[in-house]
Formats: sequence, structure tokens, C-alpha cells
Amino acid sequence: MVARWQAELGMAAFLAVIGVITIIGALEYGVGWSPSGPEPGAFPFYMGIIVLLASLANALRATLPLLRTRLWAGQAFLKPEQLRLVLGFTLPILGLVIASLMLGLYVGMALYLFGTLVLQNRYPVLKAGLIALTTPFLAYLLIERVFKVAMLKGPLEAWLGL
Amino acid sequence: MDGFSGLLHGFSVALTWYHVMLMVVGVLLGILVGVLPGLGAPNGVSLLLPLTFTMDPVSAIILLTSMYWGALFGGSTTSILFNIPGEPSSVATTFDGYPMAQNGRATEALSFAFLSAGFGAIVGVLLITALSGWVTQFALKFSSPEFFGVYFLAFASFVGLSGAPPLKAAVSIALGFSLAAVGMDSVSGSLRLTFGYDVLLAGISFLVAVIGLFGIGELILTIEDGLKLDGIRAKITPRDVLRTAAQMPKHWATLLRSSIVGCWMGITPGGPTAASFMSYGLAKRFSAYRANFGKGEPDGVIAPETADHSAGTSAMLPMMALGLPGSATAAVMLGGLMIWGLNPGPMLFVERPDFVWGLIASMYLGNVVAVVLVLATVPLFASILRIPFAIIGPLIVVVCFIGAYTIAGRPFDLWLALGFGILGYVFKKLDYPIAPLILAMVIGDKAEDAFRQSMIMSKGSLTIFWSNPLVTGLMLLGLVLLFWPLLGALRQRLRPSPA
Repeated sequence: MVARWQAELGMAAFLAVIGVITIIGALEYGVGWSPSGPEPGAFPFYMGIIVLLASLANALRATLPLLRTRLWAGQAFLKPEQLRLVLGFTLPILGLVIASLMLGLYVGMALYLFGTLVLQNRYPVLKAGLIALTTPFLAYLLIERVFKVAMLKGPLEAWLGL
Repeated sequence: MDGFSGLLHGFSVALTWYHVMLMVVGVLLGILVGVLPGLGAPNGVSLLLPLTFTMDPVSAIILLTSMYWGALFGGSTTSILFNIPGEPSSVATTFDGYPMAQNGRATEALSFAFLSAGFGAIVGVLLITALSGWVTQFALKFSSPEFFGVYFLAFASFVGLSGAPPLKAAVSIALGFSLAAVGMDSVSGSLRLTFGYDVLLAGISFLVAVIGLFGIGELILTIEDGLKLDGIRAKITPRDVLRTAAQMPKHWATLLRSSIVGCWMGITPGGPTAASFMSYGLAKRFSAYRANFGKGEPDGVIAPETADHSAGTSAMLPMMALGLPGSATAAVMLGGLMIWGLNPGPMLFVERPDFVWGLIASMYLGNVVAVVLVLATVPLFASILRIPFAIIGPLIVVVCFIGAYTIAGRPFDLWLALGFGILGYVFKKLDYPIAPLILAMVIGDKAEDAFRQSMIMSKGSLTIFWSNPLVTGLMLLGLVLLFWPLLGALRQRLRPSPA
């Protein structure tokens, strides 16, 4: 189980790192005063400071009461079965992104839809195949024919000459 | 152009067959995204926006705003029939809407919701019609320090009044501004915060952020809840609607109070969600049937719906007149305005009256179209929710990623959408507010420019923000709101606790 305070602390740490990165990036371009006004890094610099300081304060707020009461278990952020559901939904999306970058979005979405329907939800292969094939086709008609916007394509589209 | 003649001109722009058709399409798409879990108004508008880049701005904004009205109505439908708020702003509608539906009064609840929503929207548009000329005159006196003061006030009110933990709101806002700063700086040409990565040169699109934070993040949250759809069937006949409409005047006090709350929260960037909760709370406090709230009291449906829609519409006023969006969806539209090459702010009324008044007129028409369409199509859209989530969920994911790619045709945006999705999920679970992050991303450059211009005017002295009564007032009010939570805590400590 992930406890609430662990999640709070993790998020605060992540955001504090983002704050530090922003500050470092801003320092590259100067954060002081130049003849033409504030230097380009000034505004992001102060924003980075706010992110950093507020995140540190959030980290303290999440942990101080626990230090005092020593009730470390506390409130749950994510129960094991929830974690399973979330990962079961998010990991295939990661697969969709990787497949789309390699094979184009149309092929990527067909594989993703087919995969989630058949492997995860035990849909009959025929039904899942129908959904997985008609969706990219409809998307193609709408996006490229009606709105005339180009979609991320891969080797299959090149082979088909689209 | 003053109010009335401007409005007449606006109707001549909005009342063409093409524009009415766009309203119908927009409203139907809006109801669809409002009904589907994970696709809300900000997200739907973000997905549609890239497809409008080639359209005339007037037609584009009519399409997008109509989608917004449709999404607001769609969100209420699922709240009442499924106990699932399609939009964060229709959460309060579930409190009494779903119990009413369970008690066999689904049709009545839906009719009350749609009619009071329509009422709230019309009050919002009337307010815009009446005030826009005045606000513009007022805003034309603004220069950089005043604009910075307005932005400061807006973000301070997020920290102080939004109900989210103030420090978390501050993180959200500063993070949004930092993300807005990534890429080529428009003033100096420096490549800020890119760390040598070419993919970051063009910056991080707020549209990708919206699609991730609101779309994918919301879907993950839905999955985690172990979605159970237990819908109540409803069919609306014209006679039912008329019967409910005849009861509406009885609820005049709630309608009026909720419209005022909604307009106030829409113009100051409290947003529709805060407006609907506040209005529900007030309705409960003032009602003679207080005990009946939560068990299916019509006032409990009317109050949040009226406030939600009047906030949604009146948020358009600061968006156009000051370039300051009052809700996440308005922020996305504001970004759209800038992409179409328009310059939101007081000059918009002078330079593009056809756009401004065409939009205002279309808000009257679009909301009427929306009420009629939503009443006619409720059974159809409710049946969409009966399709298993195993199919709908992945399809929405696919739509989100198509949308993310069409924004700029950059493969990297797919990664960003996923990243923002996970961030949005964790943000929601830990009560980090998302709307101010989007607002900061959209107006980041404008706020920074206003700050830099002010600094150049004053040669680096912060006293410019206290240099005249107007800017002093704005900054003072902002500071009060910023430290409102602290003041509240202090007051409680000073007051002896009642035994």
C-alpha cells in the first residue's frame, strides 16, 4: 500500500526538483537587471523559487503531524487493487505511445485497441478486430479527409502510399 | 459601438445558416464530451481547437463556445442519471439530482437542470452585454502595471479563495508560469529552459497539458474508482418539460441568488466549479426544506446548475475585455484567440467588433440551441454511457493522443501528453488544483511581458505597482486575497473558542 504521506512527500520532492531545474535553467540567462530591463531569466527564476519553497513547505506539512503522533500508517493513497487497476490502464497507454512513435498513430491505435480488448478484457477476437480496424479508418477519414490535418505515419502508410 | 447596436450587429453575424449549423454541431459534440468520462469541456475544446486553425475566427469561436455550452449540459445529464459528474462543475448536481432520479423523478430533475442552466446562461450573457462596453472603457485606461495588477489579483484569488490548499495552489501557478517560459523568449530571443533539447525550442503547448491533465489524468482516476455504471432510464416528453417549466417561477429566489453567485465567480476567476458548490450551500442554508437536501430537493438541482452556467458564460467577459480567463475552458479559448491572431484585451472591442459582438450574440442563440438539443437527445447520449468502459476508455485514450498530435504535428507531444496525464492523476489525488496551472500556462507570456514592461517604465523599481490609485487598489486587493487563508487562521486563533 502507498500511504498518503508517502505520496505527498514524493510529489513535493518531484516538484522541488522541477523548481531547482527551473532555477538552474533561469540562471543561464541572467536573473538580474540589464540596460533593457529585467534579464530573460528573472521571471522563471522567481517562479522556480516559489515552486521550490512551496514544495518544501508542503513536504513539511505532510510529515510534521506524523512525526508528532507517530501514526505512520495513516491514510491510504493507493490500495494494492487500485494500483493494479491504474497500472493495467496506464502501461498499455505507454505501449500505445511507443508503438505510435515507431509505426505511426493509426497502426499504434489499432494494436492498442486490439490488445486492451482481447488480452485485458477477454473480448472475442473478431469483435475486437472489428473495433481495432474501423477506428483508425474513421479517424483517417475525419482527420485527413475532412479537416485535412496530417497524422503521424509509419512504414505501413508509406507502403500503402498514403 | 455601444451595447444595443453592437448586439444587433452581432446577431447579423451569428444568424447565418452556416453559423447556426456550427452551433448545432458544436453543441452535439459538447454534449458528447460532457457525457463521456475523462472528456470534459476544457479537454474537448483543446481537441477541437487545432482543427479550427484554418477557419475564420468568428466561426471558430462560435463552434468552440457552443461545444462548451453542450459540455456543460452533458455533464449535468450524467450527474443526474448515473451519479457520475461528467464535469467537475456538475459534482454538486449529483447531490440532489441523482436521488431525484432514483425516486422516479428523473425527467423532472433533468428538465429542472436544463431549464435553470439555460436561465443562468442567459443571465450571464445579459450581464456581458450590459457590462462589456463599460469594462472595455475602464480597461482602455490600463497600461502594463495595471495589467500586471489584474493578473496578480486573479492568481491571488486562486490561492486565497479556490478552496484548494493555498501552498499547493501556489505551486500549481508557479509551475504553470515556469512551463510557459520554456522555449524561445519573445522579447530577447533567448532559448530559456530548453537545456539544449531541440524538442523544447517551440515551448510546451498548453493544449497538450490540458489533454493530459484533464483527459488522461481524469481517465486514470475513473479507472481507479472501479467504474460502475448504474444508470437510470429517462425519456423526456414535451409535456413533462412544460409541466416542469410551469414550476420554475416558484423557485425564483434560488434562480436569482444562484445567478448572482455564478456571475460573480465567473468574472472573478473562481470558476464554475466553486460557483456551483457555493450556490448549493447557500440554497441549502436559505431553504425552508433544508432537511430534504441530499434526498432529492429540486432547489438542490436548480442552484448548482444555474450558478454553473452563469459562471461559465460570464467567464467570457474578463476573457475578452482583459485577456483574463475565468475558467480552464475560457483559458483554452483565450489561447485559441491568440493562435488565430487576435489580441484579447480591450482593443479587441475596438479592432474586431464583428468578432466580439458575433460571439456575444451567438451565446444567446447557442444556449437556446443547447437547451432544445439536450432535451431532445438525452436518451441517445445516455445510451452511449451504457457501452462498456472497456471499449469507451481506450477509445477516449486514442482520441486524446490524436488530439495531442494534431496540435503541432510533433511526436514528442505524445510523451508530454502521457507525462501530463500521470501528473494530472496524482495532482487530483493530492488536491493540487489544475485550473490555475492551465491559466498560468496560457497567460504566462502576457503576465511576464506586463511585468517586464512595468519594470522598464520604472527602471526596476517595484514602487510602480503603487504609483496610482487604480494599480494600488488592484495590488492591495490581490494581497488581501493572497493572505486570506492566513487572516482566517489568525482570526480563529484570536477568537476564544466557544465552549
